[in-house]
Amino acid sequence: MKGRRSAPLLAYCLRRLAQAIPLVLTVFVINFLLIHAAPGDPVDLLLGGLDSDPAFQEQVRRDLGLDQPMSRQLWSYLANAARLDLGYSFRFREDVGTLIASRLPASLLLMGASFLLSVCAGIGFGVVAAYRAGGAGERALTVLTLSGYSMPVFWLGQLMLLVFAVGLGWFPIQGMVSLRAPSAGLDRVLDISHHLVLPALTYSVYQLTLIYRLTRVKMRETLALDFVKAARARGIPELVVAFRHALPNAMLSVVTIMGLHVGHMLAGSVLTETVFSWPGMGRLMYEAINARDMPLLLGLFTCIAVTVIVVNVVTDVIYAVLDPRVVYS
Amino acid sequence: MKAGLFVLLGSVLAGCAGSSGEDDADPRTMILALEGEPATLTAHLSTDLSAILVASNVFNGLIGYDFDFNPTPDLAERWEVSPDGLRYVFYLSPHATWHDGEPVTAEDVAFTFNEVISNVHPRARRWWDNVASAEAASDHEFVITLKAPFAPFLTLLGNGLGSGTLILPKHIYEGTDPRTNPFNRRPIGSGPFKFAEWQPGAFIALERNPSYFKPGLPHLDRLVFQIVPDAATRLLSFERGEIDFLHAYIVPYEAIERLRDDDRYQVIDRGLESAATNENLLFNFRSAPLGDSRVRRALAHAIDREAIISGALFGLGRVAHSPINSGLRWVYDDGFDDYRVRDLVKAEALLDAAGFPRDASGARFTLRLTHDAGKEVERRAAVILRDNLSELGIDVAVEPFDRPTYIERTFRGWDFDLALQNFVTGPDPTLSVSTRYHSKQILRAPFVNAMGYHNDEVDRLMDRDISELDRTIRVETWKSIQRILMQDLPVLPLFEYPSMNLASSGLADVVTTPNGYLQTRERARFQNPKDAESQPR
Repeated sequence: MKGRRSAPLLAYCLRRLAQAIPLVLTVFVINFLLIHAAPGDPVDLLLGGLDSDPAFQEQVRRDLGLDQPMSRQLWSYLANAARLDLGYSFRFREDVGTLIASRLPASLLLMGASFLLSVCAGIGFGVVAAYRAGGAGERALTVLTLSGYSMPVFWLGQLMLLVFAVGLGWFPIQGMVSLRAPSAGLDRVLDISHHLVLPALTYSVYQLTLIYRLTRVKMRETLALDFVKAARARGIPELVVAFRHALPNAMLSVVTIMGLHVGHMLAGSVLTETVFSWPGMGRLMYEAINARDMPLLLGLFTCIAVTVIVVNVVTDVIYAVLDPRVVYS
Repeated sequence: MKAGLFVLLGSVLAGCAGSSGEDDADPRTMILALEGEPATLTAHLSTDLSAILVASNVFNGLIGYDFDFNPTPDLAERWEVSPDGLRYVFYLSPHATWHDGEPVTAEDVAFTFNEVISNVHPRARRWWDNVASAEAASDHEFVITLKAPFAPFLTLLGNGLGSGTLILPKHIYEGTDPRTNPFNRRPIGSGPFKFAEWQPGAFIALERNPSYFKPGLPHLDRLVFQIVPDAATRLLSFERGEIDFLHAYIVPYEAIERLRDDDRYQVIDRGLESAATNENLLFNFRSAPLGDSRVRRALAHAIDREAIISGALFGLGRVAHSPINSGLRWVYDDGFDDYRVRDLVKAEALLDAAGFPRDASGARFTLRLTHDAGKEVERRAAVILRDNLSELGIDVAVEPFDRPTYIERTFRGWDFDLALQNFVTGPDPTLSVSTRYHSKQILRAPFVNAMGYHNDEVDRLMDRDISELDRTIRVETWKSIQRILMQDLPVLPLFEYPSMNLASSGLADVVTTPNGYLQTRERARFQNPKDAESQPR
């Protein structure tokens, strides 16, 4: 069964990725035009203004290629990107690929930890709440998650800091490592984990509540279906019924939402990373916007677009694994 | 006598602490906050404050200056200026070495000037055109010859932020493009601290240079510059002791009163005199009512600057009475401010006389007020200004924009009526004040004469001052300029930014120059062994 399905699945993946190429191109061109349409001159921001004479500004403009007509700029940019060369950051005077790669690990760590946390806790609480429908616990959870869902991240972050870092003193306030006592090896892993807790918690709340609410609703629907009753009638323990029989059916829409939200997570990391001084891509993007650093911005946007497309394909694959009825052709 | 004994005792104790500190594995680390990621760690490419905060510890200038803006030694132990003010000779310390062991020579200095700063520093052209030659006369003798006398030349050399004149190693930069040399990001300098590590987005670590050419310095083992972009987080982190120093531009004004009373922290009430930053209300002479000096004076009479101090700055800072900041005490004159007391009657009369009477509903005209949305102080000040002017029947529409957009609209597009903008006025007025108000500075470029102000007398005085070496004459010239500017009001000086830096109380000698917010920390030290040990680990 599985062997027969994997070949068309692979072909499907490849075809989807191939279809993504014109999509990436379109995203690219639109981003390029958007960035160029934004007011603000990167040369002004680079030189700091006062006393920089016009001739020198023109020279810098030439060096950055900003004196070229826009179509030429777009073309040379596309040509370079086709060779996987994302260009050279105006502000940081460094290869855009290198810059992004240097911030990627911190971002992935934060995102991965938050994602894991929100999936496990969201589904776990969702299942429990589905069983306790109408109870005081469920109502409390629902209120709690509703407020979590609607809380702005920067405010929640400050709240977390005040309670857990300043008030209780359990966690450091910001950064990724302790700077007074640099550590190595296992100590360093522990140190980073210690710094990771608050930003990961803050970052995961929105996702967590979303997953919780979906899981709860879908689980309740599923638990009322005939096949669940049948399973129970056969004397299968309730835990098995819940996690083997009902949950996979309830998960389909949750997976869709999680897939859709990876893009949001990437783009939405700016606030969390700013509040906790986490050295990830979100802050790099913020600095790039403030400096009107066009190559860096385009590079970041392109990375995000590609990630979203890849995640969509992966979501489809997970679908196939979860739902045997899905056939790829 | 008694005090002397205590100092002696203190230094003995400190000496003991120093030796025991080295036995410990606990390094004496000072952590400084940066609000943004620097692009490079050198001074020659931009006037990026974050970069200079680090670079001033890795590199040395030829000279520095003291609180009276008199030059002080750095790489140059002494210097001579010819009587005609054209020839400057600098004698370098023979002991200075680069962090890779090579000696620092006059060749490095000449190279830095001729090949680097003159070509790539954004502000170099203004003064470099006046340089006839810059050359090494011997290994440790550097001579620079000017075409015409230039009053602020030594001050300019001492100000690494504005001029980029921190000396670079020739053997690292020769034959490379100084804009992209990889050592811009892992610098090799001659300074008290060596580059150790840069974790992008997180921190930059420097460690003690054991063979620093100034005997006994530096006192600290490590300097770490941590990038903390969020103001609220920065303050919490400082209060928790995770950060030791917040420089003048990121000091949280709202918390100063509380922090001053807490003996874990110290408010250092100096160290921004060199920047000498004033906040101004810019008037666009091209927008109809504001072209009339009576209207500008009326506005000035109606604006309650004391209210801005208390409402926008929490009572810190002081009202600016001149387009020059009081930190430049040798030239500052506060005698020409006719708008100290709020006078609505005078303001109303001036507006009526200028031909802008109130209409039936009491309104006169509408003005837009543009500012950088990222600046909290300006946001609060804008509200007060709007309220003040509404009492005159002037309707003010506040328009905050994000920084790049604000600069584009105000300084390139001249698309504003009123704008809030801070102007650095130091370290010398001919460098930072003339560049705002001279008519040849009416350029579509940031932070120059976007007002469109033109007064031939001011132009003439400023032109004359450039080559005047006698300070007493310069003081007279600037007195005249300050008088005219306060009459003409191209801008209304609103307030002076508080000259204050924040540090953990254990630290001493953090701020020793008027550039304290970004200066070298070669003299910074922990005050006594107890403090050094009690810093959180």
